[in-house]
Amino acid sequence: MAAAGAAGQEKQLAPTLLSFFIYNPKLGPKEGEEEKKILFYHPNEVEKNEKIRNVGLCEAIVQFTRTFSPTKPAKSLHTQKNRQFFHEPEENFWMVMVVRNPIIEKHKDGKPVYEYQEEELLDKVYSSVLQQCYSMYKLFNGTFLKAMEDGGVKVLKERLEKFFHRYLQTLHLQSCDLLDVFCGISFFPLDKMTYLKIQSFINRMEESLNIVKYTAFLYNDQLIWSGLEQDDMRILYKYLTTSLFPRHMEPELAGRDSPIRAEMPGNLQHYGRFLTGPLNLNDPETKCRFPKIFVNTDDTYEELHLIVYKAMSAAVCFMIDASIPPTLEFCRKLDSIVGPQLTVLASDICEQYNINKRISGAEKEPQFKFIYFNHMNLAEKSTIHMRKTPSVSLASVHPDLMKILGDINSDFSRVDEDEEIIVKAMSDYWVVGKKSDQRELYVILNQKNVNLIEVNEEVKKLCATQFNNIFFLD
Amino acid sequence: MAAAGSREPPAEDEALAAVGAAAAAAGGGGGESEGRAEGGGCYLALCARPVHFEKANPVNCVFFDEANKQVFAVRSGGATGVVVKGLEDRNPISFRMEDKGEVKCIKFSLGNKILAVQRTLKSVDFLNFIPDSPQLEYTQECKTKNANILGFCWTSSTEIVFITDQGIEFYQVLPEKRSLKLLKNQSINVNWYMYCPESSVILLSTTVLGNVLQPFYFKGGTVSKLSKFEIELPAAPKSSKLSLSERDIAMATIYGQLYVLYLRHHSRTSNSTGAEVVLYHLPREGSCKKTHILKLNRTGKFALNVVDNLVVVHHQDTETSVIFDIKLKGEFDGSTTIHQFVLPPRSIQPYQIPVAGPASVTSQAPVPCKLYSSSWIVFQPDIIISASEGYLWSLQVKLEPVVNLLLDKGKLMDFLLQRKECKMVILSVCSQMLSEPERGSLSVIATVFDKLNHEYKKYLEAEQSYTMVVETGLSRSNPLLKRPVRTQAVIDQSDMYTHVLSVFTEKKEAPHKFTIAVLMEYIRSLNQFQIAVQHYLYELVIKTLVQHNLFYMLHQFLQYHVLSDSKPLACLLLSLESIYPPAHQLSLDMLKRLSTANDEIVEVLLSKHQVLAALRFIRGIGGHDSISARKFLDAAKQAEDEMLFYTIFRFFEQRNQRLRGNPSFTPGEHCEEHVTFFKQVFGEQALMKPTTF
Amino acid sequence: MAADVHKKKSWEVPNGSLVPGDGQHTERSESPTPGLAQGTEPGAGQEGAMFVHTRSYEDLTSPEDGAATVQNPEERQGEPAEQSSMEQISKDFSELSTQLTGMALDLEEEMRPGKEGKLEPSPQTTRRDSVLSGKEEEDVTMDAWRLHRKHVFVLSEAGKPVYSRYGSEEALSSTMGVMMALVSFLEAEKNAIRSIHADGYKVVFVRRSPLVLVAVARTRQSEQEIAHELLYIYYQILSLLTWTQLNHIFQQKQNYDLRRLLAGSERITDNLLDLMAHDPSFLMGAVRCLPLAASVRDAVSSSLQQAKAKSLVFSILLSGNQLVSLVRKKDQFLHPIDLHLLFNLISSSSSFREGEAWTPICLPKFNSSGFFHAHISYLEQEMDLCLLLVSTDREDFFTVSDCKRRFQERLRRRGVHHALQEALRTPFYSVAQVGIPDLRHFIYKSKSSGLFTSPEIEAPYVQEEEKERLLGLYQYLHSRAHNSPRPLKNIYFTGPRENLLAWVTNAFELYICYSPLGTKAGAINAVNKLMKWIRKEEDRLFILTPQTY
Repeated sequence: MAAAGAAGQEKQLAPTLLSFFIYNPKLGPKEGEEEKKILFYHPNEVEKNEKIRNVGLCEAIVQFTRTFSPTKPAKSLHTQKNRQFFHEPEENFWMVMVVRNPIIEKHKDGKPVYEYQEEELLDKVYSSVLQQCYSMYKLFNGTFLKAMEDGGVKVLKERLEKFFHRYLQTLHLQSCDLLDVFCGISFFPLDKMTYLKIQSFINRMEESLNIVKYTAFLYNDQLIWSGLEQDDMRILYKYLTTSLFPRHMEPELAGRDSPIRAEMPGNLQHYGRFLTGPLNLNDPETKCRFPKIFVNTDDTYEELHLIVYKAMSAAVCFMIDASIPPTLEFCRKLDSIVGPQLTVLASDICEQYNINKRISGAEKEPQFKFIYFNHMNLAEKSTIHMRKTPSVSLASVHPDLMKILGDINSDFSRVDEDEEIIVKAMSDYWVVGKKSDQRELYVILNQKNVNLIEVNEEVKKLCATQFNNIFFLD
Repeated sequence: MAAAGSREPPAEDEALAAVGAAAAAAGGGGGESEGRAEGGGCYLALCARPVHFEKANPVNCVFFDEANKQVFAVRSGGATGVVVKGLEDRNPISFRMEDKGEVKCIKFSLGNKILAVQRTLKSVDFLNFIPDSPQLEYTQECKTKNANILGFCWTSSTEIVFITDQGIEFYQVLPEKRSLKLLKNQSINVNWYMYCPESSVILLSTTVLGNVLQPFYFKGGTVSKLSKFEIELPAAPKSSKLSLSERDIAMATIYGQLYVLYLRHHSRTSNSTGAEVVLYHLPREGSCKKTHILKLNRTGKFALNVVDNLVVVHHQDTETSVIFDIKLKGEFDGSTTIHQFVLPPRSIQPYQIPVAGPASVTSQAPVPCKLYSSSWIVFQPDIIISASEGYLWSLQVKLEPVVNLLLDKGKLMDFLLQRKECKMVILSVCSQMLSEPERGSLSVIATVFDKLNHEYKKYLEAEQSYTMVVETGLSRSNPLLKRPVRTQAVIDQSDMYTHVLSVFTEKKEAPHKFTIAVLMEYIRSLNQFQIAVQHYLYELVIKTLVQHNLFYMLHQFLQYHVLSDSKPLACLLLSLESIYPPAHQLSLDMLKRLSTANDEIVEVLLSKHQVLAALRFIRGIGGHDSISARKFLDAAKQAEDEMLFYTIFRFFEQRNQRLRGNPSFTPGEHCEEHVTFFKQVFGEQALMKPTTF
Repeated sequence: MAADVHKKKSWEVPNGSLVPGDGQHTERSESPTPGLAQGTEPGAGQEGAMFVHTRSYEDLTSPEDGAATVQNPEERQGEPAEQSSMEQISKDFSELSTQLTGMALDLEEEMRPGKEGKLEPSPQTTRRDSVLSGKEEEDVTMDAWRLHRKHVFVLSEAGKPVYSRYGSEEALSSTMGVMMALVSFLEAEKNAIRSIHADGYKVVFVRRSPLVLVAVARTRQSEQEIAHELLYIYYQILSLLTWTQLNHIFQQKQNYDLRRLLAGSERITDNLLDLMAHDPSFLMGAVRCLPLAASVRDAVSSSLQQAKAKSLVFSILLSGNQLVSLVRKKDQFLHPIDLHLLFNLISSSSSFREGEAWTPICLPKFNSSGFFHAHISYLEQEMDLCLLLVSTDREDFFTVSDCKRRFQERLRRRGVHHALQEALRTPFYSVAQVGIPDLRHFIYKSKSSGLFTSPEIEAPYVQEEEKERLLGLYQYLHSRAHNSPRPLKNIYFTGPRENLLAWVTNAFELYICYSPLGTKAGAINAVNKLMKWIRKEEDRLFILTPQTY
């Protein structure tokens, strides 16, 4: 995908996942026992000795770097053909992801010649992807240590196998970019009054369904309220928006966002339905099994049932203590209480939203595309990405530009002072990176042949229109 | 109807009979009382300090004047003295007058200027009580030939109306001339009459059946005849005899409107379940209409009072009373609204008669007073007299007991919000519903808040439009405009804060989830009524969130501007930075949005040693030529960053160059120490040389 | 060689014999534009340049004398060095990692206070009898050692230490063993190790058979730049041995201890590393001239030119690390890298101040297989003016020495001697001369001439670390501008301490540093004003008329 406009019969081979493994050196310290260290290895077909060798290399690299920094060992290894990313999420538990560099396949007199593009992968992006692998595992399985306590290496291996076997297939390594670094949350813009209505809705629901411990509220796949702590919400949000919601896409509902109230005589009829748990409430045999999630793992370590209930574009996540298995009666009760109210609320939000849209005025294609991220609340906004497939959102600009964004981002993360970088790429596109007190803004200007001053003006304009309600250093 | 008159020599029983007669339906025997049976929750009470007077007996006649709410005790026709006591004026007036025969009726004009005494059917005698004015009595015969005076009533301090069986005569009294001047007279056949001092309306019962009522309105020496109306009788009268008795009629102003209350007794013919009170609205102009029906669901002897805009109906047989509030929802049948009583019947709160006589103050225990006694006489709006024991009470509505009787909190609020003394009760209801054991559900709490804020908003709007009119100077053009009165029903944010919310959050018995939910609910309600929320409420929210480390919640609230921007709030956030770093960003954003807080922004940035940022910001808003160089150089120096210091120093050197054509600082800027520091770090030669073009 | 596969973009430079492309000097526009044709930018030479034309350090990585063929892992299959089977290697690793764990544990021990005394790391014992190492001992297990901004290690393919910037080679032999193991592990998989990245530092590997060069850097430099510096070290070694000799040695003896040959040369290498941390020349891949009035310079040059001899290839007059004049044989071009090595050689030893030195030297970019013979001497004691005459004939000392005499004579006769002294009194100019208040410093490089100019580093960059930081910033801009997959034309950086601007065209490169309170508009004006100024001053700041014999 990278080599746009590359010469004739050149072929681009996207980066691919070569291997992914998890090991713990403490598990097979003695020689000849190396295999014991390995907790998970993908692809599993790989011959045993090679597994051991690759793990050995990682250990060696890590230990080698400890010579120079006992506390900050290696994060990644660059080689001609691939990159290896190391992550130690829990003490002595190492996760390693090996990604093959993109290749340009050329043809010199008949036979193919491969050129590895060594500078195409951005460390920060793929390290983040690796970290998310862990966070996602932890969300649904708890920590590695927990598994060990529950049933030793055996259980841990089972859980890892069960989880990563599926999860690794959902990684889209070729379309990873800055957004994976941020792993942010997109918030739904909303007026105060509607927001307060949602607040009191949530509070009342939590009161009447008293076993509910936390609630989260989303609209159009954007977050409005989270009772969970930020970091847990971050990964849950990723799960909801990239996995659960896409699986429940309903085209016919899309247009039906503002229903005619008459459709719901006396609140009996409503659009509420469970995205997790029972499919059919009228079937007494139906299963009320909900996914379990683990939150606050580093202090209270709570295990919860995740109930996701949706009416039109509004989705509520009710999280209840895992010790209380939700019964069918509970689900029916929930449906009867939440369903009607949520339906009404959903159409209120929709109306409000349209009103606000009308006020702000119809949006014409602006001169720029941008990505915004705020480290403080993880708020994320991108006019660059658009949902291509349910689960992947692709950038609408040239990959090289995206990579420049990535470069700027990694430059920013080296110091925590406010900085601004404006660059002009070979393609004559201008790219702007702005960092102001925990906020980052990246702008790509569509029009070429403008000068620095004009670029600056454009960015000023953007800040004035999009971000005039926040303090952005000039 | 006036006082309990009695013929000379008045035998006690007769007097009582008279009283009984006068006391409308109050008379009758005892019987086991539901009220007492159910016990507790008495929401009606007799006032603590009644007027005590010498009880009626052969030599002592007792009269009551509704206009001045005065009791007259006339001993032997006044010869042995007249004692006048009132609810308002506590110190009794006592005087003597020669006994010119049996007194039928005796009343002071408003302000006790002139005393009027009726002794005969033809005339009324007058006696001035104005200091140094002729003390001799003077008399006024009624003008109409062979008419009998039914009674008289003062409509002002010098205007009086005689009501005769043939009409009314309206006089002006000229005390110094000791004579009266007829202002107006109306001839009309009168069965009986009724006077409502509050509205100075006289109601005359006319026609044979007496059920056609003719109201007259008196004001400033003029009489206006209001449109007459007919009271529909329960069953078609058998004979053509007077069939509407004055005892079944009362007049009172309820919610500022004059009503004629008709106690319609249960008729076997009509399938009504019991007696009922029919309210006729009697407007200043326009015709009188039947508007409300109060269902009593029982039969027997009744008496009416109107207290705090509530219609109180006493039922003698059960010795209980019920109350009606015509503002509360009832079933509307197209023309009239039918009301059930608001609360279950209760008897008036038991009452102890303080034993007379100084000697016995301590020794004897006070005697419980017989309630609903047949010797009671009831006057409008809220007077109860026991002629036999010589007491006059005003009836009162106690709100506290209501709280426990009216379980529907919404209805309770509707009820309380209409009462005079409601504020503390309402606030206590709020506190109560927020705390165990009787904690209300959030939706109930929401409705209560909404009702309160509805009232609150109404007031604010009135207030606002008033001030608008005043400011625009239109006030002169309409003189009747007056500042809206703030009733106790107006419960504003500070009331809620001081009496309910702060207390509630203080005692942390409730789970914090609930606490926050309640606060948000209140804020929601205020917003719904577009009432600007006071920042101390926000502070309360923030305090609570911080107490429970719910910073992410707080962050989200601020993100959606639920806690609206204000400098105090921004400062509060700043103070949180140490425990919650993002607060810094939040408060800066807030200051930015306020757009009146540029100085604050600069201060904040400088305090964080972000001198560059501060300077860039100032320049962004074009204030960089007026700022103090010293201030920024100080900040730069404190930052202990020599590069920074250099930059700032250079900036001001260039400013000096630009503004004054010379880079050096003027003594006025007090930057000497900084210049020295600069030289010492970067050397003399690093100083900017004056550039000349 | 593998390292180059991904750098095809870079300009292959056949050994020392490329005439700069379009050296023509047609119209010389006043204010420069990005479209400015090469050779017409300020500082462009009049009659072709004296250097091999370099875009930037990419040339460094171009193969010299077929080295590539030997180094390509794919082709190294049959070689004995590679015999060790996979099992063997993986075995090594398991030992290695356990052994390292041991070491790491010790380190952690070390870090705890109070422990130091008890523990005595084994490697130390041999440290003492290291005849080769000129530097005083340094405990390689101490934080102080770890926290050096940049470590540099050179080792042989047998894993034998050749050079270590800090700490004795002996003490580090095990570490270097690991380095070699890592390299060969990946090569065994037909792969090549490039670098390891961790928080706050990078480990960069450069493979130049028969050597491996490794840097551990805590600087903000890019991987490419660090590799670039390692190659300088590699060339430095070549300049002492020649590539041919180096390979010959190791073909003879796999685990030969090269330090015996390099005895005493560490000083030069150390000096080179220090120089690279301060002098932008290496970053720019260009040479800075001593500011000098054109007339004076021409006089000097012609004097040099006339003082020629058959065996002379280059006559170079330099002061500090600035070039005063350079005369070359026709069609012989000196590569800036070679010149830098010469500069370094001179600046790294004071011994040249005493009398005349006659030393063999290899100019690896010119010809990595043979030695030249350099006559090095200072014109006068107190004067920082060094003459360097490069001859092909080792027997020619006296002829060359005579050239020096003749040159000095001519100088005196032309009477530029005084002017020269004057110029030497102010070897740098102040940025204030440009007359832009917000401007703090800049670097301007003319691509066609391979020369660059930049003013003295003044306030606020008075502290040594500030000076280094400034260079660090230039390195940062440079690395972004020349980032091989994603090069940039313009960079405008607004930072907490200064604003920077980089402008790279195919004719020139400009990097300016100015006040963080300067505006963008201000920057643009500054650039134009600056370019005009350079154009005005170019014949003082650059050598526009290079001479040949």
